[in-house]
Amino acid sequence: MIENDNKLTPIIELNGITKEYCAKATFFSKGYTSVMALDNINLAIQKGDIFGLVGQSGSGKTTLGRLLLKLESPTKGIMKFNGKSINDLKGKGLKTYRSKVQMIFQDPYQSLNPHLSIAETILEPLIVNKIGDHNSRKEKAIETLDTVGLTPGKEYYDRYPHQLSGGQRQRVAIARAIVLDPEFIVADEPTSMLDATIAIQLFKLLQQIKEKYNMTFFFITHNLAAAKYLCNKIAVIHNGIIVENGPSDQVIQHPEHPYTKQLIQAQPKLNF
Amino acid sequence: MTLLKVENLSVGYKTKKGLLNAVNNISFTLEQGKSLGFVGESGCGKTTIGMTLMGLLPENANILQGDIYFNGSNLAHFNDEKWRNFRGKEISMIFQAAMNAMNPVIRVDEQVMEAIEVHNPDMPRNEIHTKVKKLFNMVEIPENRLKDYPHQYSGGMKQRAIIAMALACNPKLIIADEPTTALDAIVQDQILKEIKEIKKGLNTSIIFISHDIAVVADVCEDICVMYGGQIVEKGKREEVFKYPRHPYTKTLLASYLNLDSDKDIKVPEIQKPPNLITLTGGCNFSASCICKSKNCINHAPEWVNLSPTHQAFCCEETLGKDKND
Repeated sequence: MIENDNKLTPIIELNGITKEYCAKATFFSKGYTSVMALDNINLAIQKGDIFGLVGQSGSGKTTLGRLLLKLESPTKGIMKFNGKSINDLKGKGLKTYRSKVQMIFQDPYQSLNPHLSIAETILEPLIVNKIGDHNSRKEKAIETLDTVGLTPGKEYYDRYPHQLSGGQRQRVAIARAIVLDPEFIVADEPTSMLDATIAIQLFKLLQQIKEKYNMTFFFITHNLAAAKYLCNKIAVIHNGIIVENGPSDQVIQHPEHPYTKQLIQAQPKLNF
Repeated sequence: MTLLKVENLSVGYKTKKGLLNAVNNISFTLEQGKSLGFVGESGCGKTTIGMTLMGLLPENANILQGDIYFNGSNLAHFNDEKWRNFRGKEISMIFQAAMNAMNPVIRVDEQVMEAIEVHNPDMPRNEIHTKVKKLFNMVEIPENRLKDYPHQYSGGMKQRAIIAMALACNPKLIIADEPTTALDAIVQDQILKEIKEIKKGLNTSIIFISHDIAVVADVCEDICVMYGGQIVEKGKREEVFKYPRHPYTKTLLASYLNLDSDKDIKVPEIQKPPNLITLTGGCNFSASCICKSKNCINHAPEWVNLSPTHQAFCCEETLGKDKND
């Protein structure tokens, strides 16, 4: 029954989302020019999906991620979260929404505050949302560190970001994202700064988290192979338009749009 | 003809905690017109090798031992003056972040011209102009973009301009340090084609540094796999990537995702990278290795010849073990 309900209402639904950036006239340039970052995006993400968004730089991938987090508002179109419109969220509603939707950023060297210890970084979302008391928060933080593979959590608790490697920092960023038990996580190229051996371990970790907590992931990447490995559905975006959308095996084995074919062609291969 | 011969090179950085052995006793040779690739994870010493070959090591770094023979001269004993005349002319470098490698307040063509002027002070102005146009033509930047500033270029175009700059003085060797890491797949594909064409057309040797094995396999004929400052396996690309023998090369290949990868690939377990300050003198990979022989921790393994061109820096025991897998 519940399964059916979920099928009916996707966790995220985008209807005709358009985002236009206007470059204002400045001293050096005249007139208005506008850039269409996203053009009439229609997407539905079901609960439990790992949804991959693939495209080249400047195609609007990150803009879409920012819209989903309500860091920016669409020019046109309706965004729904669990069936309810989130276009006009403000104040308390927005705060609740933000606690349910979290982000993992690309660069673990810049997304962690160097002045905050790992503990402070992970506790911050809990304190902001007034969850638990001092002791239960600490317990939760250590438990989360264990979940993301920084074991034993106690040993990492009081360290600072500069004492960790790139892969470990990204694990801290993941811990910060999941500590509030969000329903939906946007991961914007979380492994593009990391080595292949580290990246694959993080992919496994994301899969484990998804299964353990039944979270839904929105995975933004330009690496088609990574998207195929991690995601069950893939959308290909080109110049702000979604050109192909479907189950990942189908998109990669039977690409229909010429741009998808070009992307697959350009993917470096290990054959001689 | 052997263009570059590096013998027993070690490079160390002086740090507060002691001497950090970034590059540890490595040797390799490169023939004129060939390409050599270095792969390995971050911090394994790839870039330090590139910087040593360019004479661009920072203040706190030193060549501890070894020789670098380039066309008969030993670069390990060069002074600043010699480096200035040499750098850019004989060996040039394509840097990692094309976005930051150019001066934002100087027009692109002038930056390329500067490189030519420094090494050919007598060359007439109009000849330099023709040369710059030819270079930009080669890297497929349209002529009307020559006078642009770097910020008007896209990432791929900047990387092309950097390549044009590296080619300005017809160097015999180009060191490309992660030239496509900041670019997306489609642009990366174009740049790699560009590099391969240049190598073929000008008979330039290339040292290609990257952590992406597919990119290195695409460009280079010979491969050196590095781990913790040591070269652990070297050989022709077919040998190293088709029949890897060193356990680290296997791990690296196993974690590479391509479009044909299975969903349930075995995730390699790599422990912490080795501490390069407190080296034991043994194999740096021994902590994460399948081989649990205590010998490896304190005694450096020997180079094992697997074929005339394929060698692995590992103990016989481990190499034998792999065969049975």
